[in-house]
Amino acid sequence: MAWKRFMEHRIGMIGLTVILFNLFLAFAAPWIATQDPLKIEPKNIASPPSKANFFGTDGLGRDIFSRVIYGSRISLIVSLLSVLAAMVPGVILGSMAGYFGRWVDIIIMRFMDAVMSFPAILLAIGIIAVRGGSLYNVVIALSVVYTPVFYRITRGSVLSLKEKAFVEAAMASGNTPSTIIARHILPNCMAPIIVQITVSLAYAIIAEASLSFLGLGAPPPAPSWGNILSDARDFMMDAPWMTVFPGIAITLSVVGFNMFGDALRDVLDPRLK
Amino acid sequence: MDIVLNIKDLKTFFFTREGVAKAVNGVNLCLERSKILGLVGESGCGKSVTALSILRIVPHPGKIVSGEIFLNDVDLLKLSMEEMRQIRGNRISMIFQEPMVSLNPAFTIGNQLIEALRVHRRVTKAEARNLAIEMLRMVEIPAPERRIKEFPHQLSGGMRQRAMIAEALLLKPEILIADEPTTALDVTIQAQVLDIMYRLTQEMKTAIILITHNLGLVAEWAQYVVVLYASKVMEEGPVEAIFENAKHPYTQGLLRSIPTPTQGRRQNSEKLHEIKGVVPSLYDVPRGCTFHPRCLSCKAICSQEEPPWVTISPGHRLACWLFV
Amino acid sequence: MLKYIFKRTFYIIPSLILVAFLVFFLIHLIPGDPAHVMLGDSGTEEDVAALRKSMGLDRPLHTQFILWIGKVGRGDLGVSIYDKRPISQSIRERFPVTLTLTTLAMIISLLLALPSGVLAAVYNNTRIDYLFMLVTIFGVSIPGFWLGLMGLLLFSLHLGWFPAVGFVSIEEDFFQGLRYMILPSITLGLYMAAVVARMARSSMLEVIRLEYVTHARAKGLTEWKVIAKHALKNAFGPTLTTIGIQYGMLLGGAVVIETVFSLPGLGKYLMVAIFGRDYPVVQGCILFMSITYMLINLIVDILYVYFDPQIEYQ
Repeated sequence: MAWKRFMEHRIGMIGLTVILFNLFLAFAAPWIATQDPLKIEPKNIASPPSKANFFGTDGLGRDIFSRVIYGSRISLIVSLLSVLAAMVPGVILGSMAGYFGRWVDIIIMRFMDAVMSFPAILLAIGIIAVRGGSLYNVVIALSVVYTPVFYRITRGSVLSLKEKAFVEAAMASGNTPSTIIARHILPNCMAPIIVQITVSLAYAIIAEASLSFLGLGAPPPAPSWGNILSDARDFMMDAPWMTVFPGIAITLSVVGFNMFGDALRDVLDPRLK
Repeated sequence: MDIVLNIKDLKTFFFTREGVAKAVNGVNLCLERSKILGLVGESGCGKSVTALSILRIVPHPGKIVSGEIFLNDVDLLKLSMEEMRQIRGNRISMIFQEPMVSLNPAFTIGNQLIEALRVHRRVTKAEARNLAIEMLRMVEIPAPERRIKEFPHQLSGGMRQRAMIAEALLLKPEILIADEPTTALDVTIQAQVLDIMYRLTQEMKTAIILITHNLGLVAEWAQYVVVLYASKVMEEGPVEAIFENAKHPYTQGLLRSIPTPTQGRRQNSEKLHEIKGVVPSLYDVPRGCTFHPRCLSCKAICSQEEPPWVTISPGHRLACWLFV
Repeated sequence: MLKYIFKRTFYIIPSLILVAFLVFFLIHLIPGDPAHVMLGDSGTEEDVAALRKSMGLDRPLHTQFILWIGKVGRGDLGVSIYDKRPISQSIRERFPVTLTLTTLAMIISLLLALPSGVLAAVYNNTRIDYLFMLVTIFGVSIPGFWLGLMGLLLFSLHLGWFPAVGFVSIEEDFFQGLRYMILPSITLGLYMAAVVARMARSSMLEVIRLEYVTHARAKGLTEWKVIAKHALKNAFGPTLTTIGIQYGMLLGGAVVIETVFSLPGLGKYLMVAIFGRDYPVVQGCILFMSITYMLINLIVDILYVYFDPQIEYQ
């Protein structure tokens, strides 16, 4: 039923298409990329787009097109992992806080408040600063940054659902709290959580690219989109194409998730339209 | 008869993606100066839309499609937006059902009352403030100088509604439209509020259109009754005629449904009366007489053609094939 | 009202302490021995031991924290390993740049976001609205640093309208300073503009349907007054909260933008410190920026009462 309305939502369908295309590119990278993204070609430095190199080559002669294609793998994997790693503790803690209330709620809330008191990127930078720059640490940092959001959403939903009759009925039947939460409450909270997943995925892609750009993400020669753009800085005057294409890739990926998320929000919670 | 408001064949439709909802479909209404007219009907019959149409503030996607609304001898539907604006809150005022949501929670009572005054009159802020305090006193709000600085959520439900009445009557309008003014209030407060409303409007000679689904209120306060069903008027007449001599099957059904103390109790087999069926959606109003699917006395012609008006006695008429 | 202000202020104190602790603890998250890592290979065993002593790393954890808090409370954020200058002084010198950047970005962003969000709500479901949604979706999706790079490419390198590198303080020379700040500010502000615009629109949409708006019309107010006074004040509350939260994005984004445009602000200082393993500086910067962010949100919380008086009583 909600599916049909979703199909009618043009923006949502465009978003979904972009996401699927993105996933396809990431998955099929080895077959789509025309060349080895890591292969250095000293004779072909910073050359403009051509039939051999669709997006041109970078400062070390590497094919940008292939690097961008492989870069989608990095961005998707990192964002998916970070959001997952944020969602699981966020939802668990949020349900606990919402369900048990009082002390549990206050303590967790304080902690989450503290995390949310940091500007997101600063916190990520701080964590990576001390642990060192690597994709693994990017995932850890981002998951810390995104956990409070999932916590807050889950807690809010659980709080409002807790009052409802079917939950009281389940409690009266003597179910354990974890059963009640898992089987009765959570399924009804899924809507805002799913919307938040798409939103967070969009953020995560930009975050990973930004962190890599700053040099805090995937260490070279990994073809993260942020890295490619960072390398492109030295060649901005002479080889502008190096700056243009990776950025378009990032923008399009993120647009896909945002459009999809917008459509989901409209469909699952039309009040907000 | 001194008619202050004359609505002729008003049609207001809502044009949505799901179709056209004919909220008001040919409504006629005559309001006498200084009198109270009860506009009665169930939820979704078009009463509120009629009220909004008079002031021409029907929300999008609604539009007044045709008809005439004469305020004395001026057709409101032909006025420019600016001229209409000068009538709103000034010569015709409206109060709404839930004062908690119809008073702006972000501004003080005083701010809103003063604003209502200064939109239409050239008064200084100080003068307006005094007038507002006076008005609050007249609606029996204690310590009005203090209240005027408070926000709506700081007042009780009854006080909020009285503040709304004060605001509506500040400019001494010729007509007051009261859309379910007491539905959100406790029963004891209802009487108080209506009492105040009545007293003040009597002094100012303001006519009232009392919109409600509560027949008891109408019986007590109104002099004239108009019964609305699914966008059309079923019956209308002086209050005594309607309550003692209602002829239209719908009106009779409504009156019968008012619970009496002997109904619905365990020991007594007398059941609560109901009108079988449900109110039709305004997107899909029945053909012919809109009430015919639920009417126990329905005849063949009722489902095909709209019934004409039949006058039973002076001022009392109805639209029903049974009486033609 | 004053009671409300006090209440809100007290409420953030525990968070403040927790934040301070987290920043303090950051150093201990370093894999290995912090002092050793900081000095790298250039330090001898004695240097490392000396550094450990001076940083108080040989004391128990809670003692360290209390000592550290004490120093921070007095405004002493320590000394930079790299240039040996007091960190609080460096921060004081660099903060105006970041402040100018974020403030300009905020102003630009609000000037763009508020009118367009309100307009999109008023003209809901028309072409204006659809255009708005499309533009804002892209606005939210374009990475700030890339926008900055493209801006540099187009406006500085290609068209030559703005300088690409360098900085002139606005205090010294207003117009020249502005020239250097315009591109970075616009870049930083665009993302926030898109987010705030969407929030303003959805907030307005909710409010516009409410009965007090109809009531305001029924009083005979002009449509302009109905929207600008009655609807807007109520809609602005949630938007204000979003603005407060977005300030955090501005601070974080400033780090990136200052890197892209080579501005001598806090962000650049932080990045240099990270790569130089100047951990006291890293701590100092993060602490300073986080506290600024918390203060801004506190102010937002207090201002909120003006837009939604009911909050005071909850």
